Amino acid sequence: MAEPLLSFRNAEHRHQISSPTFTRPWNKRSGPGVVGLNLDLYAGSVLGLVGPNGAGKTTLLRMMAGILPLQEGEVTARFSSTELKPVGDLRQWVGHMPEQVRWQGNQSVREALEAIGDMRNTPNKRIDGLLDLVGLRNRKDERLDNLSQGMRQRLSIATALLGSPKVLLLDEPFNGLDPVAAEAFTHLVRRLANKGVAVVISSHMVAHLDQLIDRIALLHRGQLLDEGNLNEVESRLNLSNRYQIKGKGNVEVHSLLSDIEHEFLEFNQDDQSWTYVFRGAPKEVLKKLMDSCQVTSWSPIAPNLVELLCATTGLEPEDISLEVGSSAMLPMRTERGGEDE
Amino acid sequence: MSDAGRIWRMSQRVRNRQLYGIRLKIMLPILILFLPGMAWGFSDPDIMLPGGHQPSTPMEVLFYASLGVVFGATMCAVLLSFDGVSRDRSSGMLELRLAQPMPRKHQATALILGYWQSIAIPVYGLMVLCLVVVRYRMNDWPSLTEMLVYFVSTGLILLWYTLFALIASTSAKEQGTAIAFGIGVWFFFTFLWALVTTMVAYASGVAVGEANDPSWVALEGALDLLSPNGVYHHLLETQLPTVDRGVASWQVWLGALIWTVFPWWVLHRRMEGLVP
Repeated sequence: MAEPLLSFRNAEHRHQISSPTFTRPWNKRSGPGVVGLNLDLYAGSVLGLVGPNGAGKTTLLRMMAGILPLQEGEVTARFSSTELKPVGDLRQWVGHMPEQVRWQGNQSVREALEAIGDMRNTPNKRIDGLLDLVGLRNRKDERLDNLSQGMRQRLSIATALLGSPKVLLLDEPFNGLDPVAAEAFTHLVRRLANKGVAVVISSHMVAHLDQLIDRIALLHRGQLLDEGNLNEVESRLNLSNRYQIKGKGNVEVHSLLSDIEHEFLEFNQDDQSWTYVFRGAPKEVLKKLMDSCQVTSWSPIAPNLVELLCATTGLEPEDISLEVGSSAMLPMRTERGGEDE
Repeated sequence: MSDAGRIWRMSQRVRNRQLYGIRLKIMLPILILFLPGMAWGFSDPDIMLPGGHQPSTPMEVLFYASLGVVFGATMCAVLLSFDGVSRDRSSGMLELRLAQPMPRKHQATALILGYWQSIAIPVYGLMVLCLVVVRYRMNDWPSLTEMLVYFVSTGLILLWYTLFALIASTSAKEQGTAIAFGIGVWFFFTFLWALVTTMVAYASGVAVGEANDPSWVALEGALDLLSPNGVYHHLLETQLPTVDRGVASWQVWLGALIWTVFPWWVLHRRMEGLVP
């Protein structure tokens, strides 16, 4: 694989949370955050950052955007040289789209974009181009108060693209976008990646990312659990090559398929229909079933976030998805090898 | 664009948003009543102040009318800037701004200048009107030095309260806390400082409120250096030869410098460590 554009080693940022005592009412302690992160970003690659609520996705993106400082570890980059060098301020090279920006006020769309553009020394010509790119050209004189949620989201995307960033960070960019806009956005991201921009997209919905990302990073409780090409990760977690076949009637599927080598995963039978889930040899299984009974549908199964997380953590789905508050506060690994709260 | 140019452009945007905003429209009648209104009242040739004093020079009138700045303009400064950071934080704009390559100190400076201008411009406009009113009623202008000190010291007190409000705004996670902090500081220095002075005088064995007692005058003069309103009045008093509260001009200007530099530095520090 090519040399990384941006590289984090043992990066850590933990939020300082209030922990008052009788004698020290202003006392603070290290709370949840991101710990021991090793991650590389590659030019032209789209990385999907996935994890449940409270996993540390936004914290990590803010670290990458230069908003939150690294308390431990180091970051190196190849922005202006051919080899990785430590970099102090990432903000010049990184475009960041926060999760939710409530654009409001009497300013026009263009004025709002110019205001942020001034902070980056972006020429006005570029701003017109960006408004075109995100489909807001016809709305450039609209007041911010009159924008819909989707349009505000587009404006946030435009601000992230100011200054032609080499790394683009998008925090839950699909929120508020209608399906058409989401499709257009997907194409836009792919186009930027093809131009050599390293894109990081955070989302808790893997389905949205499926067609878009080249690599996936699984984050949970502030720790990077697994990272790599989506197929590689699925294969490592034993979640690849899974299929689901549905059919009608009452069928003894097990006996029908006893002579075909495959791995049974799940079978559900009700009055009129059945569903069979398995791994491996899809053609043989399908042919056998179609010869013996009525098959109504067949499809490969893409893993969802919960499955991925369950596979990497060994936890049950309810432990991951329903206890967000406590999971974010659970003990985290420390450099000493122990755990602290 | 240079760093200074970027700071100026950002401050212009902040200033324009506030100048044409609804808050200033609400505050303008208050400012008109407090500034030209007081100048009109104190320049009345028949006015008799408590203690039998009668303002006889334009600077004396401006000094008394400066109560309008202390009570009205400083409150407006706080009300314009109390959510200068907290509103952007709650709307997500702060995160967007902090992600830009403009240094945080520069962003803080732009905020300070923008919010300060948004209150200083209308106040300066009304102060010019005060001068015209005084000229009309007393048939005399203050000297150029007096006018300069009047404008500079008023600009400074507005800057101090803008800084207090913005510092409060960096700490506040929601608007209620920001406004409580900003108004609390304003209330403390405007209304409660006299109580602090009285308590210190009592504890020091000085007769409280005795205008002819040199020890009371000296104590009050010294304690006023610890209050922005007190320093403001000290600055104006440098142009009133009849007033001597035992504080030298250099001490007053040093006090003004400290009241400017220290909160400015605190705000810069807070911005450096700010988390969206």
